[in-house]
Amino acid sequence: MIVIDSASPVPPFEQLRAQLARQIQDHTLAVGTQLPTIRRLAADLGLAVNTVGRAYRELEEAGLIETRGPAGSFVSAAGEQGRERARRAAAEYAAVIASVGIDTHEAIRIVQAALTNATAASPSSCLATSRPPDGDLP
Amino acid sequence: MTDQSMGPTDIKRVSVWLAMHGLADVRPTPLLATRLAARQRVRLAAAVLPAAFILAVALVYSVDRPAGAAVDGSWWYRHWSLLVLTLLVVGLVLAQSLLGLWVRRVDRRAGAVLPRRAAHPVRLGWRTVLGGPRAAFAVTTFAGAMVLAIGALTVQDSTARYAALILLIGLCGVAVGVVVQLRHILTHPVVADDEVSLTADGIMRAEDARDATTPTVVWCLPVVSVLDTAPGWWITAWVVFVALGAFTLALITVGTALAARRRGDATSAAVNR
Repeated sequence: MIVIDSASPVPPFEQLRAQLARQIQDHTLAVGTQLPTIRRLAADLGLAVNTVGRAYRELEEAGLIETRGPAGSFVSAAGEQGRERARRAAAEYAAVIASVGIDTHEAIRIVQAALTNATAASPSSCLATSRPPDGDLP
Repeated sequence: MTDQSMGPTDIKRVSVWLAMHGLADVRPTPLLATRLAARQRVRLAAAVLPAAFILAVALVYSVDRPAGAAVDGSWWYRHWSLLVLTLLVVGLVLAQSLLGLWVRRVDRRAGAVLPRRAAHPVRLGWRTVLGGPRAAFAVTTFAGAMVLAIGALTVQDSTARYAALILLIGLCGVAVGVVVQLRHILTHPVVADDEVSLTADGIMRAEDARDATTPTVVWCLPVVSVLDTAPGWWITAWVVFVALGAFTLALITVGTALAARRRGDATSAAVNR
């Protein structure tokens, strides 16, 4: 379910984007699932077409959905591939940490510092993954 | 909208409806009351409309065909009656569309005042709303009726052929009307502000779709014209067709109700969790 609260300080496009992103990431929306058309979702949620279009565009930029022309928008497999790549990189990193003898806490601090730097460098690329889900809308 | 905007009749109507769908623990809301009241009025009008259509078709057929006479009348007279029949069919489809539009307008107004809006991230398709068995039943019923109507066109008697033509025009009109109604039901925007009202929206859609596809008019249409003139084999075939259809519809209705009850129990448990 997607809920848009007009009284919330969070802009409607961001409410929609975050909820769809969360549902794609926790597999509530499986890879290949067809999303409603922009016009239809805008009518369902009482939003402007541009608002839903912006949310879809950001999800597409984040690789979570893909638009296949007139067929519509679908949940993309790219997000899943990205997570798999991250898991492989994490395993390699863990192997390096073990081989050089760095303890776990320091290894996590190194990762956190790297993530902070990466987020500062390109905030838009982390829109879909770095923000906390705002499912508990007021 | 607040609870104070609902009268006791509204509250009772919504409570009964919720209980019928396994949502007895859910509190009646003004949104549900508004939407159910609109549907109740439309259902009444939608029941009167086919009856008026059948009466009008019967009237045209009776006026056009003097008692006991074969319909070999003048070319103008025959064409006049076919024109009136076509207008009646267009009128039926138009009236059904207007009723659908009115319900959608009520829904839109009710949705416009909601501070929160909820929707499914995946659109409900016709399989979810109508169900495969009902859709197959509706298609089979229309196809069967068309085949029988075309079969009646092959008889020698010109009066019987004319009556079959009237049946065929009527069936086409009813089929177009059902398609238009289903399109409205499947495409009009969701009106909900939480999980319960979203569930209720889906149930209302399913009920509307079932009402639209129940083939009462199809079964009644031959009474107007064909049964008076058709040969014995055709009448027997039609009676068997209607009996089989009614039996199948009863089976589908019972099956759907049992499945809905199971789902309702699950939904109530989820809502109360």
